Amino acid sequence: MSGGKFTLEAVEWDPWLPPVEAATATPAQRAALEASPQANSPYFRTLAHDVDSLAERSPLFHSVMYVPRGLKRAERELATVVVSIINGCVYCSSVHARRFVELTKQPEVIRALYDHGLDTPLPPRLRAIVDYAAKLTRAPAAMTVADLKPLREVGMDDLEILDLTNAAAMFANANRLMQTLGEPIPPEGQR
Amino acid sequence: MAPTQFAGDLMNEIVGATPGSTLAALRAQRPEILRHSQGSYDVLLTPADPGGLTLAERALVARRVAELSGHAALTAHYQALLAGRAEPPADTRRDAILAHAELLATAPGGATKAHLAALEAVGLSARDIVALAQLVAFVAYQVRAAIGLSLLAQEKAA
Repeated sequence: MSGGKFTLEAVEWDPWLPPVEAATATPAQRAALEASPQANSPYFRTLAHDVDSLAERSPLFHSVMYVPRGLKRAERELATVVVSIINGCVYCSSVHARRFVELTKQPEVIRALYDHGLDTPLPPRLRAIVDYAAKLTRAPAAMTVADLKPLREVGMDDLEILDLTNAAAMFANANRLMQTLGEPIPPEGQR
Repeated sequence: MAPTQFAGDLMNEIVGATPGSTLAALRAQRPEILRHSQGSYDVLLTPADPGGLTLAERALVARRVAELSGHAALTAHYQALLAGRAEPPADTRRDAILAHAELLATAPGGATKAHLAALEAVGLSARDIVALAQLVAFVAYQVRAAIGLSLLAQEKAA
């Protein structure tokens, strides 16, 4: 893990490349930005330099995180927080920890993960989600069918496992973009 | 022998989700994910306009990331893709691109602004640097999505 401070406060992000500016954006860049979660954010404006990959990634990300049925949204958010903690992505963990808390009203789950690490005691279903997401992040090639057993024991069906896999995999992706094209600006009190 | 463009769904091919299989039916419940996973592959590995990151460099990077992730089938796929393209010459540019890909694949928290300057020094533009990051990030996603699907397939076969 890198040295950043994980937080439930809002974090900003400072790009290392000059982002695409609205005034000089091409029509394709404007369209891809409009289809992104936040058209004006420095992060998406940086990704807009390679417009075709942004135009594919935004709907992929959206479907992984928000497509109806299957794994509950809060549980997808939890998986992304776990991945972001392991990869050291302070920005990603802040955004998605807050989404988890909005959905569950359980900030104590996030605080336990932040303060005591991923091995902190958790209810069985959350424990199974954390362990699966953590191993898929750290040691994907070492995974075996036995890693599905804890998910089955807490009642997960195939679609839920697929959604959990995709959420964790999506943040192997998100963390790599966010951490290698810019850096987080800590919240006011921690600067 | 090596295809320069993959027609169809690469993920189904990699995890052995044949038409009519339980796994293919499961994946079909998430059509947007199928479509844009394949779409991401297409625009990153076989773009109509690759800009300043060549098609061969893209295949080379993808192979290295798949290899570092320990995914044999995807490594073989990208090796075949690379074999159909002119292998990038061994020079400082190739070294810089591969070093950056390896850092992003294995220790993304270790990247700094200076790493992007090293890419600019070997001729990469802002667009090329973003494309390289997207490519490494995509393969990191693809490897993990493939592994989860393979586990489900193995569980059913057991």
